Amino acid sequence: MTEITNETQFKQGLQQLSLADQRAVGARFVEHVISLADDERISFAIRVAKNKDAAEDELAAAFKSAKAAALDCYTRCGADADWSEQAGYFVARAASAIVAPEKDISGDGPAWTAAMNSRMARTCSIIDANTDAESQETGQQYRILEDLLNS
Amino acid sequence: MSEATLERGLKALKEQIDTPIALFFSSCTHCGMCATACLFYTETENPAYTPINKVEPMRRLWEQEYTLIGRIKKAIGMSKPITDEELEEWQEYCYNACSLCGRCTMVCPVGNDITYMIRKMREGMAAAGHAPEGLIGASKRAVKIGSPMGVKLPALQAQARHAEKDLGMEIPFDVEGAEYMMLMSSMEIMNYPEYMEAVAKIFRQAGKTWTISSEAFEATNSGIQIGSSDIARELVSRVVTAAEKLKVKTVISPECGHAYTAIRWEGPNLIGRKFPFHVKHILEVLDEFRAEGLLKTEGFEEARMTFHDPCQLVRRGGVVEQPRNLLNMVSKDFVEMKDHGIMNWCCGAGGGVSANEDAAELKMQAFKRKKSQLDELNVDTLVTACANCRIQIEEGLEENEMDIPVVGLTEMLAEHLVEDNKTEG
Repeated sequence: MTEITNETQFKQGLQQLSLADQRAVGARFVEHVISLADDERISFAIRVAKNKDAAEDELAAAFKSAKAAALDCYTRCGADADWSEQAGYFVARAASAIVAPEKDISGDGPAWTAAMNSRMARTCSIIDANTDAESQETGQQYRILEDLLNS
Repeated sequence: MSEATLERGLKALKEQIDTPIALFFSSCTHCGMCATACLFYTETENPAYTPINKVEPMRRLWEQEYTLIGRIKKAIGMSKPITDEELEEWQEYCYNACSLCGRCTMVCPVGNDITYMIRKMREGMAAAGHAPEGLIGASKRAVKIGSPMGVKLPALQAQARHAEKDLGMEIPFDVEGAEYMMLMSSMEIMNYPEYMEAVAKIFRQAGKTWTISSEAFEATNSGIQIGSSDIARELVSRVVTAAEKLKVKTVISPECGHAYTAIRWEGPNLIGRKFPFHVKHILEVLDEFRAEGLLKTEGFEEARMTFHDPCQLVRRGGVVEQPRNLLNMVSKDFVEMKDHGIMNWCCGAGGGVSANEDAAELKMQAFKRKKSQLDELNVDTLVTACANCRIQIEEGLEENEMDIPVVGLTEMLAEHLVEDNKTEG
C-alpha cells in the first residue's frame, strides 16, 4: 500500500506515472475543484484528459478552449479583486495543464501543474469566503494519487 | 462637470507648466514624427492619437497664459478658452490612447519628452474629473486598502502559505535587517502567484536574506497612472516607511513595468529626498546574482524564444542588457524582435490602459503591432518581465489565434535552477 504524506512523495509519485496517467490523475484534481468554476470548457478538458486514447487534435482543441476560459476570468490590472472569479481562473489554468500538448508542458508535468493550480483555486475560494479555514486540497490530492497508485 | 471642477483642472494644469514643459512647447516643430512612433497612431491612423496632440489643451493654456502672442490671440478671440467638453474629449486621447511607453520621446528631433508632458497633462485631467472610472476606482482602492485591486494582507498571506507548502520553506514577512525587501504587484499575487515561489527558490539558492513587508507589499502605483502626484507620493511614502523600519539595503520592484518607474525614478522626487536604500528591478538583482556566480542554472529551453521588453524597464528605466544576460543562461535559440531594447514596441496596455475599460477595444487594436513583430519571428515562446504585459500579450495572442506560450523570465530561471543537493557539492 502506497501512502503519501508529504510533497516529496507526492511529486515522486506523479513523476513515475506515464504522460497519459498524469493527464488522467490531473483531471481528477481538477474535478475536485470544478464546483469553483462554471464553464463547460473545463468539463471538456477533463473528459479529454481522462481519455487515454485522445488524439493530438482533441488535446489541442481542449487546450485552446481551456486557455480561453482562463483568459475570460482573470482579474485585469487595476480591477477590483473578485476572488470567486479568480478561483475560476485557476481551475481553468489547471484544466489547460492536463491537456497541454507535449511542447507546452512545463518541467514538473501536467499533473503537478494541475495540482498547484487547483490548490490556488481553493485558496482563492477561502479568501473569497473571508475565513481562516485551512485548505484541505493538498490532502485530497494525496488521497487521489494514492487511490491511483494502489489500484 | 461643474465649473469649479474645470477650474481645479486648469489650475492643476497651470501648476504643471514648468520650465521643461514651456521649453518643449516652444521647440515643437509640429513635424509629426512622434505619430510614427506611437502604436496607437500606427495601428489606427487616427490623427487625434498623434502624441503631441494629446497635450494640446495644455499647449493652448501655456500659450494663452505665458506667451505674448498667446495673450493677444486670447484677447482678440483667436484662441478659444479650454472647456470642460474639450477635456472630456481629450480623456480618450491621453488615457485610452497612451500607455506612457515613451517611444514618442525617443524619436522627437528636438528632444521633447512627450511622455513627461502627457504625464503632466494627466495631472490636470484628473483634477478636472476627466480620468477614466477604472483608474479612479483603482486609485481609491490603492489609497484606502493599499492595493489598486483590493488585495489585502490576508490574501497575500494565504498565497504565501500556498507557496510555503509547495516549496517546503518559509516566505519571510517583516524580517528586520534583511538585505532585500520584495515588493509584489497585485497582478502577480492574483494571476501569477508562481512569481513569489520563483523568487523564494532563487534567493534560497543565492543565500540572500529577503522579506516582504506586511505594511507595504504593493508595488503598483496608481497615482502615476491616473496623474495624481499626491496619490503617487502617498503610495511611495508607505514603501519608504516600511523599508526604513525594516532597515533593508535594497527594495526590489517586481515584474511590473510602471511600478519600477514609480519607485525608482519618480519616488525620490515625489517625497523630496534621497532614499536610504537602493531600488532595483528584480532582473537587475538576478543579473547581479548571475555575475557573482550565485545564480546557478542547468539545461536549456528547447523552444525558439524572444523577449518582449516592458517599456518602463528598458526605455524609461535602462534595464536592457540584464534580461538578455539572464536569457542566455537558459536559452540557445533566442532571437530579437526587429525593434527591441530601447526602441521596442509597447504591448498596448501600459500606463493604466489595462485598468481602463473604455480602452479595452483600442488596446487590442494596438496589440496588432506586437502581432506583426511576432509574425516575423516564428518563435515558440515569448518571455517577458511584466505581469501586465504578460496578460495583455496572452489576451492578444488568443484574440489573434496565435499559439505562443508567454512566460515570466524570473519563473523560467527558477525552473532551471540547479537543485540544492547539486549546488552544495
